[in-house]
Amino acid sequence: MEVTVRLFASLRRHRPDLALGQPLTCQLPERATLADLIQAVLGPLPDEVAIMLVNGQLQAGEQVLSEGDRVSLWPPVAGGAL
Amino acid sequence: MNISGYTGALLRIDLSRRQARREPWDLGLAERFVGGRGLASYLLYREQDPAADALGAESKFILGTGPLTGTGAVAASRYVVVCKAPLTGTIACSNSGGFFGPELKFAGYDFAIFEGRSETPVYVWIDDGRVEFRSAEKLWGLTPAATDEQVRRETSLMAKVACIGPGGEKRSLLAGVVNDRARLAARSGVGAVLGSKNLKAVAVRGAGSVCLADPEAFWLAALDALKKIVNDPVSFGSFRAYGTASLVNLINEMGAYPTRNFLEEVFAGAMPTSGEAIRDELLLRNRACFACPIACTRVTAVKDGPYQGRGEGPEYETTWSFGALCGVSDLKAIAKAHYLCCDYGLDAMSAGATVACAMELFEKGYVPGSDIGFALRFGDAEAMVAAVRLMGERRGPFGALLADGSYRLAAHYGHPELFMGVKKLEMAAYSPRVFQGMALHYATSNRGACHVRGNTVAAELYGIPKYVPPETLDGKEEMVRRPFQNSTAFVDSTGICLFSKFAITHREIVSMLAPATGLDFTFDKSIVQGDRIWNLERLFNLRAGFAAADDTLPERMLEPVPGGPRAGSRAQLHQNLQTYYALRGWDERGVPTRQKLEELGLEDTWQVCR
Repeated sequence: MEVTVRLFASLRRHRPDLALGQPLTCQLPERATLADLIQAVLGPLPDEVAIMLVNGQLQAGEQVLSEGDRVSLWPPVAGGAL
Repeated sequence: MNISGYTGALLRIDLSRRQARREPWDLGLAERFVGGRGLASYLLYREQDPAADALGAESKFILGTGPLTGTGAVAASRYVVVCKAPLTGTIACSNSGGFFGPELKFAGYDFAIFEGRSETPVYVWIDDGRVEFRSAEKLWGLTPAATDEQVRRETSLMAKVACIGPGGEKRSLLAGVVNDRARLAARSGVGAVLGSKNLKAVAVRGAGSVCLADPEAFWLAALDALKKIVNDPVSFGSFRAYGTASLVNLINEMGAYPTRNFLEEVFAGAMPTSGEAIRDELLLRNRACFACPIACTRVTAVKDGPYQGRGEGPEYETTWSFGALCGVSDLKAIAKAHYLCCDYGLDAMSAGATVACAMELFEKGYVPGSDIGFALRFGDAEAMVAAVRLMGERRGPFGALLADGSYRLAAHYGHPELFMGVKKLEMAAYSPRVFQGMALHYATSNRGACHVRGNTVAAELYGIPKYVPPETLDGKEEMVRRPFQNSTAFVDSTGICLFSKFAITHREIVSMLAPATGLDFTFDKSIVQGDRIWNLERLFNLRAGFAAADDTLPERMLEPVPGGPRAGSRAQLHQNLQTYYALRGWDERGVPTRQKLEELGLEDTWQVCR
């Protein structure tokens, strides 16, 4: 199946060839998870990825992906206050 | 008695008589209200009728520091500005970092209370124990940066200056207090109070230092907190690299990024206005506040073109308010609007939100183009910047309306439903239609729809302290109340920046507070102190005339999101407001019960409230 992934903030340094917001198209086996996708794109760096959206919804690494999913990844980021 | 952490003194300045005197304050209050926001609010509550005119000569204006301000504790740079808010009519407490707060401590004061009104423009020069009133005639009309430079030239190059810009002089209800050239205690219109008093600036120089009760224990705790902050991926990672604007793409991708005056929640033009774009295109370097390793401030420049300029920012809220909220995706125009707000001394969040409101009023035909002088449409960057100039200069009847914020603007044209805020304060860049915690918080925050009084997005997105999905309603009442609203009230009272709290908790803070002051600050007490401060602010607002009916959201937030990943989501405030009141120990009208006030030791204020 085919999904797209975009990298934000400091994760962009892993793919300096991509412009800001430029999606990367990935071919994955059926039933592949979000963690599988991250492994394929970034290698063994799971700790650096903190926030994962699939089609705009927050998901965890075990989330099974579907054809055409739009994935967006961030390191730990925050704003406002706490 | 040896006094540590605090100086134990306040400076009372009568602008009408041009007199100043040093007074001790009752240190018994320290363990009840901590300092900063809590103690300054108590002083205001005690000294000013909450129903009085915020811009009247009888109003008071308090600058306050926390017990950790200036100690060298990590990120302890904050000072607060407390008064009755001219924009909202609520209690105001805006705070800012930089170097001004520590310097006030070094001069020997925890608080400075300004009273009365000067007949002519004046600035106050606090040089340790000596206080001078000097003419500000030649400073009137200057930007904060120019004022800062001129005042330091006239006093001491080492002085730290807090002042107002032309916006505050003209009593714009969006005016803030600017310190260290470009840092704003921005919200609630606090700068207009200085303008009403003809007080252009306060310069301070202190040769003293802050005493510590147990220096060894303090520094061990301070080093522990420092280590936690520099090892934290948010505090020492994304804040340093991207500032808060790293959130732009994230909140937008989630479908929670208010766009075109909250008509939509996704902005197609967000990417070029994001933190990544600011870093790539505008960033010159970072700047840090006193004793802060984070250095989140972004010194930026637009080097050429019609929007040329230089300043600090924009950050998440202002790249949003002049960007998505106005439908503008031109980053240079957004930066220019932000720089202009610094020059006028205006709250750039409310300023952008007011332009966005004006754009909707114009597009719907509620404001004739002849009132504005040009077409003010969503997405028009040039018109957006022109509107900020009108606002800052208070030029003409429409400029005067813009300068007083979107509530009054929308009401003037007969469409108050287009005001996107609570208690006359504009909302921030987290949609309450998506984040149910923010919906309840905006509705109940003591200074109106402010995000930094209890930013539940930390839990609803980043999972701090624990992840709770944004759409969940169950348990949000307690989450809003305790780990966010009450906790923030405590932290704001210590002098520590809220940005430290992504890495440290009350435990680390009390571990510094206790040895700094020699007082019995503990984790358990900090929870009660935060609750007490929140309730005190609530009592001020109730006495100022606010009621449960004011704890609400704009009608638009109760309607479904029209599109994007969160289509159909809406704020469900009605389902948890009464539960929130009950958890707070308030009756169904939102008034603290006698039992609650006795529990908090606020019976004296309750007596006044009755």
